[in-house]
Amino acid sequence: MSFLKELRLEDKFGPFLAFQVAVGFIPNLLRAQSLLPRVIEAQAMLEGAARLREGSIPRVQRERILLSIAADRKDTYCISMDSKVLSSLGAADGQIDDFLNDYRRADLSAGDLASLQFCLKLARHAPSVSSEDIEALRACGFEDEAILEAVVVTALAVYRCTLSVGLGPGPDFGPRKLTSTRIDPPREGVRHSLLPDIHEAARRKGPYVPAPYLSPKTFAPFGVVQKSHGFIPNFFRAQTLRPDLLEAELEAVGRILLPEDVLTRVQKECILLVVSAANLNSYCVAVHCNMLRGLGMPSEDGDQIAVNHHESNLTESEKALLDFAVKLGTRGSEFSCDDVVKLQTLNFTDEQILECVVVTALNNFANTVQMGLGIEPDFAPPPVFEENKVHLSGAALTPTQSEGAVCLVHTLQDADAELVAQAQAGKLEAFEELVRRHTQLIYRTLMAILGNPIDAQDAMQDTLLSAFKHVSGFQGRSKFSTWLVSIARNTALQRLRSRKNIESLDEGECNEEGDLRPRQVRAWQDNPEQSHSKSEIRQLVETGILALPAKFRVVVMLRDIEQLSTDEVARQLGLSVPAVKTRLLRGRLMLREWLSPHFTASTKGAVQ
Amino acid sequence: MITCEEFFAEFADYLENQVSPEVRQELELHLSQCRACHVLYDSSRKTVKIVTESSSFELPRSVSDPIIDRVMAKLRTDRG
Repeated sequence: MSFLKELRLEDKFGPFLAFQVAVGFIPNLLRAQSLLPRVIEAQAMLEGAARLREGSIPRVQRERILLSIAADRKDTYCISMDSKVLSSLGAADGQIDDFLNDYRRADLSAGDLASLQFCLKLARHAPSVSSEDIEALRACGFEDEAILEAVVVTALAVYRCTLSVGLGPGPDFGPRKLTSTRIDPPREGVRHSLLPDIHEAARRKGPYVPAPYLSPKTFAPFGVVQKSHGFIPNFFRAQTLRPDLLEAELEAVGRILLPEDVLTRVQKECILLVVSAANLNSYCVAVHCNMLRGLGMPSEDGDQIAVNHHESNLTESEKALLDFAVKLGTRGSEFSCDDVVKLQTLNFTDEQILECVVVTALNNFANTVQMGLGIEPDFAPPPVFEENKVHLSGAALTPTQSEGAVCLVHTLQDADAELVAQAQAGKLEAFEELVRRHTQLIYRTLMAILGNPIDAQDAMQDTLLSAFKHVSGFQGRSKFSTWLVSIARNTALQRLRSRKNIESLDEGECNEEGDLRPRQVRAWQDNPEQSHSKSEIRQLVETGILALPAKFRVVVMLRDIEQLSTDEVARQLGLSVPAVKTRLLRGRLMLREWLSPHFTASTKGAVQ
Repeated sequence: MITCEEFFAEFADYLENQVSPEVRQELELHLSQCRACHVLYDSSRKTVKIVTESSSFELPRSVSDPIIDRVMAKLRTDRG
């Protein structure tokens, strides 16, 4: 019936039963996902928490929101399904027609009208939502919990519409037609140019609703995320006002993203990355670039996929999968069964296509929640993505995305760009100037890895020669300084290997888990640095840093000595930001133990 | 009040000044009542300050210049 194969699942399958009880039928949208029962469970959890359970917004109003968004997207499947549910809740046919044609004719209270308009705006063009929209809701008497709920219900509507477009389920009931006289309600706040909206939205920063502290110890799902991600993303922290919604989302994410039985984690993260990029969602782009780095993909490759996956080194069939996801996720009205057939002819299985559709839907859910709540980023998005956003917004709006191809070559703003171009043309003076600019960075990288000054100075010479030899191949996919650091790293690692002093920069992740909490609890002096001379302190710090295991040493060196940002360090070392943070803390605490005897209060003045 | 373990779970971000106002409030309440965590926080903050201000591993020009000069000379000769 739908685009993909279906298996016969028994009516007593948990999610089916739950729908039968709650709405009186089993939607074909669920049956269309029968190849992967876990994704049906995921949807049932989201629907259970955001739609079917009692909440801050009355059930009937949540159904109106779902129906109005489906109508706004002209999603005939969802329209017929949601009309039926709304009518079973007692809505008259005439009123349902009003929602389908022009909600302003439905006799709504001021509050219901305000929340409906807010949800429609968020579903239509999430980047245009700003703190002002939230204030408008508050002015109508909406509490924080209700605002959060409105955002999640909208995200659910977007999720379901994405699924219905991608899966093409047969109607559950006779179709309900939109009348031809349908008047499109005004598109509040939607402008022709996308970028000014984004800046406007950034005017008052989020998150828009308070997020009380929730402990990973008492709220088990946070404990699970902490373990699987190494940190708790702001995306989840921003929703702590409603642990019930949060728990359902985390369960759904676990069922959709974590298993690797169909698509791999990397493939799924790539889908999330490209669709978020096409939705101009910097927050989600940053998260997924980091996830990809954590899964072992070099940062430049992730950045390239975010900006334009056609120019990346993915295989042609992987690119086709991403094209499919972008079209489904951002240009649903152009999507058809042909897009599914195209993937089938490229030998994608129906299970893989189904999972791609579900991941795309989940992405749109997340993009909507993030923008609706103004969730602050955990990480900086790749600089190339921010700079290319203007091209991307054009690409996202036109069907001929590939024609507007954006390649990273020479698009990255880098203070070194001009000198690099000259050096590449063979101008030695330009190369010399570049090298002088970055001497300290190179030296500190070498010191961090090699751990002694004589070796580092030798390696410096090799690094510079190697940089010159390869400079013509530098494509501007990263900053020049990042590229120099990678040359220095390779040079140093080669030296380590030849010295047979193999001190791994990456091994032994497990011991990062151990109890980091220090035992040393004597208080330090008020102004510890005043009790020693500058050169004594420098000596102490240098000795302490050189005594650190290499993987901590490199991170401390770049973050605290060279004072790069955490994001830059992650980028330079090809690590995820959470991994850098863990190593940094570990290194800092080891240094603290080392410095403690010199700076505790009782030793004040001991060294003069 | 949160436990020391919960405090420590947020510690890295707190040290980097990257926690939300609500989390900060919980952490500071804990700090005001737990001497061990207060010492840990205070000394870690001072450690970071000392390390970042130490100018460690600065290669003096007197060392770096000759290295660069040597490399440039070699590149110029190689070019002929």
